[in-house]
Order: sequence, then C-alpha cells, then structure tokens
Amino acid sequence: MKFLSIFIITILFAGNIAAQDANKLLKEVDDNLMPESYESIRKLINEEPDGSKKEFTFYTVKKGKDKIAMLYLAPASEKGRSTLRLGENMWLYIPSANKPIRITSLQSVVGGVFNNADIMQLDYSTEYDATYSTRTDTEYILDLKAKNKTVAYDKLKMWITKNKKILRKVEAYSASGMLIKTLEFKDDKNFGGGLTRPSVIETYSPLYKGYRSLMIYQTIKKREFPDEVFTQNYMGRLGDLRK
Amino acid sequence: MIFPRWSLFFLIIAASAIVFAQEEYDFEVPIEEERKLEWDGNLDVKYTLFNMDRNSSQYKLQFFKDTPSSSLLSQYRLEPYLNAEYRTSDLGFILKTHGSYHSDEDARFDLFEAYATYNPSFNTALQAGKRVYSWGKGYAFNPVGFINSIKDPENPELAQAGLLSANFEYIKSFSSEALQSFSFLAVIIPSTDVIGTLFAEAKNTDIAIKTSFLLFDTDIDLLAYQSENKPKRFGFDFARNIQENIEVHGEISLNQNVERHTISNDALVSNRVDKYSYLFGLRYLDASNTTIIAEYYHNGAGLSKDEYSRYTNFIDNGANNIDLVLKQQTLGVSQTYFKGTTQMQDYLYLKVSHPEPFDWLYFTPSLFTIYNLADNGFLLSLQMSYKPVTNIDFIFWATTFVGDEITEYGSKQVQQRMELWMRVFF
Repeated sequence: MKFLSIFIITILFAGNIAAQDANKLLKEVDDNLMPESYESIRKLINEEPDGSKKEFTFYTVKKGKDKIAMLYLAPASEKGRSTLRLGENMWLYIPSANKPIRITSLQSVVGGVFNNADIMQLDYSTEYDATYSTRTDTEYILDLKAKNKTVAYDKLKMWITKNKKILRKVEAYSASGMLIKTLEFKDDKNFGGGLTRPSVIETYSPLYKGYRSLMIYQTIKKREFPDEVFTQNYMGRLGDLRK
Repeated sequence: MIFPRWSLFFLIIAASAIVFAQEEYDFEVPIEEERKLEWDGNLDVKYTLFNMDRNSSQYKLQFFKDTPSSSLLSQYRLEPYLNAEYRTSDLGFILKTHGSYHSDEDARFDLFEAYATYNPSFNTALQAGKRVYSWGKGYAFNPVGFINSIKDPENPELAQAGLLSANFEYIKSFSSEALQSFSFLAVIIPSTDVIGTLFAEAKNTDIAIKTSFLLFDTDIDLLAYQSENKPKRFGFDFARNIQENIEVHGEISLNQNVERHTISNDALVSNRVDKYSYLFGLRYLDASNTTIIAEYYHNGAGLSKDEYSRYTNFIDNGANNIDLVLKQQTLGVSQTYFKGTTQMQDYLYLKVSHPEPFDWLYFTPSLFTIYNLADNGFLLSLQMSYKPVTNIDFIFWATTFVGDEITEYGSKQVQQRMELWMRVFF
C-alpha cells in the first residue's frame, strides 16, 4: 500500500513538472515570436481558389499580455479602420461611422481564412495551458488547451524547433476535435534588436478548400506605449503613433 | 576556366528553384513613406428607380405643380467624397467634404468636417472646428445621440455632416480588474440661432458632456446636454459581450422640454413635453458566419397611432383640396415638422447579413427590416454588395414599403425603390 502511494505521488509530481516545463517552453516560444510590447507593419494576403488575391496592410501596436490595436493602412477602401482588443473585448472603428462598435473575436473583418483572433493574436501562454505531446529528433510537439471558453480555438497542437525554440506549425482544433485550420511559420528573418523569427505565416483550412492566407511581417520593433493608446477613444488617433 | 556541361544544368535548376521560391512569397511590403498630408476619398455613382404610389396623398402633394406621366421615376447622381488629413505627432488638421451632383443646375457641396486637433499628451486632446460626433451604442438608432448628425436608419454607416463645436477629452487607463479605463469629453456648442447674418447670443452656447467607463468588461457612458434655450437631455448607454458570439447593448435618455408637433382639428399644434426614449439590441454571430443585428427602439416624442392617423387625414385633406395655396402650406408643414423616416413611437429593426454564401466570392447579401410595431407597416430591404477587385464596390439595393394606406410605411409616396451604386475608392 505504501509502495502504491509513493508510486502515485511520484507519477503526479512528474506530470506536474512536465506541465510546468511545457508552459515554460510555451512562454519561450512567445518571447521568441514577439517582444512583449511592440509595433509592427505586416501585410495580409487572402488568396482565393481562382488565384485572385486581396491584400491588406496593417500597423499593429501591442502592450503586455492582452492589449493590442491595429490600424488599416491599405487598401484605400479600408484605410483608417482600426480594431482594438483588450483581453476578450474587441471593437471595430469605422471612420465614416466615427465610433467604435463592439465585435466578437470569432468574426472576420477581412474575410479569408484568418479571423480576428488570428490577426490580433495574444501571447499563446496567455490563452492556453500546454502539455508535451511527443517529440521528434528536431522538434517538440505541444498540446495546448484553452484556459477559458472565450478563446477562439479550444485546442492547439504546436511544433517547435528544439535548437532555437522557434514555432514552425500550429494546428487549431474545435472542442469536438475537428481540425479548423493550420498555420505554418516560414522564412526566418532578422528584424533587428535581437529578434529573428519567421516572417511569413501561411494559413489554410479544410473548411475553406482552395483558400490560402499569408501574413507577411515587414517590421517588428520593440516599443513601449502608455495604456491610454489601448482605449476606444484612441482608435481614431492610432495613426498619430507613426508620425 | 571551363565548367562541365552538367554543372550548367544544375546551375539552371538551382536558379529556377530560387526564382520559384522567391515567387511564392514575392510579397515584399513596400516601405511606406510616412507622409504628413494624405488625401483619400471615393466617388459614388448612384442610379435609382422609384415606383411611386400615385394615389398616395404624399405623392399628390409632392407633385401637385408638375405631375409626372408615369409612376416610374429615375434619379442619377454623383457623390464625390474628398478628404484630406495633415498630422504630426501632436497636431492635426482634418477636412472631409461631400458633393452631390444631379445636373449643372442642381449641384451642391457640403463641408462635412473641418477641424484642428492638438494632443498635448496621450491622455488629452483638444479639437475645434466642425466635426462629427457619434454617441450611443445602437446600430440603427441612438436615443442618446444628443449631438449626433441625423442618422438614416436605412443606411447607418453613411458619412454625415458634423457640428460646429470645440471639445476637450481626457482619457485614463487603469490596471484594475474592475475599472479598466475612464474618459471625459466636454463639447462646447456655440449657438446657431443667428441674429442678422453673423451674430448669435453668447448665453445660448450649449454644453454636452460624455463620461465613459470600461467597467467589468462593459462599456458604460453617462451623457448630458445642457442648454439655455433647447431641451435638456440626460442619457445612459452600455454594451457588453455576454458570450464570444453575442453582444448586447442599450440606451436610455430623458429629454426635458422637447418640442413635439401633432395635428389637431386639421391644424398644427406644438407643445413641450418631457419624454423618455430607449433602445435595446444585440449582435449575434452564428457558426455559419451569419451576423444578426436586432434592436427595439422606443421614440418617446414620436406620434401615437391616433396622432399619426390625424396627421394622415391632414395630408389627405391638403392633397385632395383644389386650393393650391393650401396644398403648398400642407406640404410645408409636412416637410418642416414631420420629416424623418421614423415618426412614430415603437420600432423593431432586424438585419441579417452573410458574407460569401455558396462560395460566391466577394459577394455579401444582407436583408433588413424596420417594422412599425404600432401600425404593423414595415419596410423590407435587400442589399447585395460585390467587390470584385480592391477599391471598387458595386451595390444593388432594393426596398419595398409595406402596409395599409393609413400606416407610416404604407402611406409613403414611394412603393418600391431600386438602387445601383458604384463606389470607387482612392
């Protein structure tokens, strides 16, 4: 009996250590993807099954774990729109309507395979708990479970390089276990300030056959912002930060 | 130095591989020059067909001088929007203009917005000039929109003309779980009741105040409008995501001493009353990416069913009278005191939209209705937007007005309306 108790305690303890290690690795992955506070310019390209493309250019600013705001720079028909995410709260600002409107994180404001949660992604370690799945000679594979129901995807499977702890692939699953989309992280680039990371995220989904979305980062710079930048009142002024 | 032929072959293969690899992600984002002065805008070209109800009293009044030979009327117009923006880190100048061109004889130009802005810090902003305010959380209606431009519930996102004013805004964020942000906006509105051509009484300057909170993940606004010679107004609104796909919102306002116009004994009667107006609504996104917006709107100062019936009798009497002066007077009363698309008290707004159904790319259909709960008349509108390439938008928009001839929507001079828009952005 004593032996059995020691065995069970040992197993539980080992499991807990493994989970702590997995979450530590997930935090490292986040740190290797983005500085905690930054500004970036990126282009989103939605490719349709007929080969045609729609392109959007965004200026994004982020602070801490749960504050992110994004301004549309192009095309002209969308220019001046902005979105703000504070945790699970999300707003869309349309210049002609001149006021922020609450939207849901599942809604897509640009069409294509990416939804708002993908475009305004918070740190993975903020939204998910990690455990080790398997590992190969070159990669760790993590299973991620959403910390609460408001997170866009219930489960993620994540492939991470062993040597530099760089993210290579994410599969997003619904609560029922259905694969919703796959994100592949490609083309490592030195963005300066000691940040080398994939510059292209390619996304496709079995739910959108023939569609492909690409997110291409042009610049990522570490920058600190006051909290007031991440308020609804500031959404119409986000462009001031670039001047 | 002589290379073997096979090395050339490998060189070509390698070069091809590089070219193809580059082609796959040949989407280098051009480094944008950070210009301080930027221009943008759009040209809307609109063709509209109207099927008129020739038996409607409103039609008879509108066209009593020059009656068309057919019930089918058309309208072709151009609406250029031209905007300029000059910004530095703390200063800015914003100009938004709108033109409307029907013919060389009938063209107009509107200054929608022209204001200067000075941001001494991230917390504060000072603005002066003509600018648009959009208070309230409602999509189609805003009972707390005390200083808003008059919104068209049939097209709530259309740009509108602003208000001559000056304002000061203070924003403060908190790291607390409960109160996440607070802001205060004070708007000074000089009087537009002009004496002569240029002067107004200083005592008639109005002030509007909005205090906003993000409290427990809920947007909350407290609003007030103070005036010497206009109605005083007080309001409250809120919005919150109750689930990841459901947002709820509401507004309530008390309007004191607001002017109300009715018809009694076939004559205009004006009095002043205190009235509440309110709105409750939700925005829902289902698993198939369909968005539903539903709102209930109570317009406290609106007409009751009996009052609207007396108004339609007044219009009928004017339309069927042979006295042209009386016709003109009736038309004048209608256009001055009973303008707007929601004259009565209780309405239900429902909009359903679904992007790219059946894999029809770049195509978004939406259907909406404004239902008058008092007389069961309604309008039903189908809008189809098609964006085949970036910066161009084609819109087909058909609307029908349904109801008995004594209902608000059934008594309109237009029975059906069909619009074709082409919008080009630059």
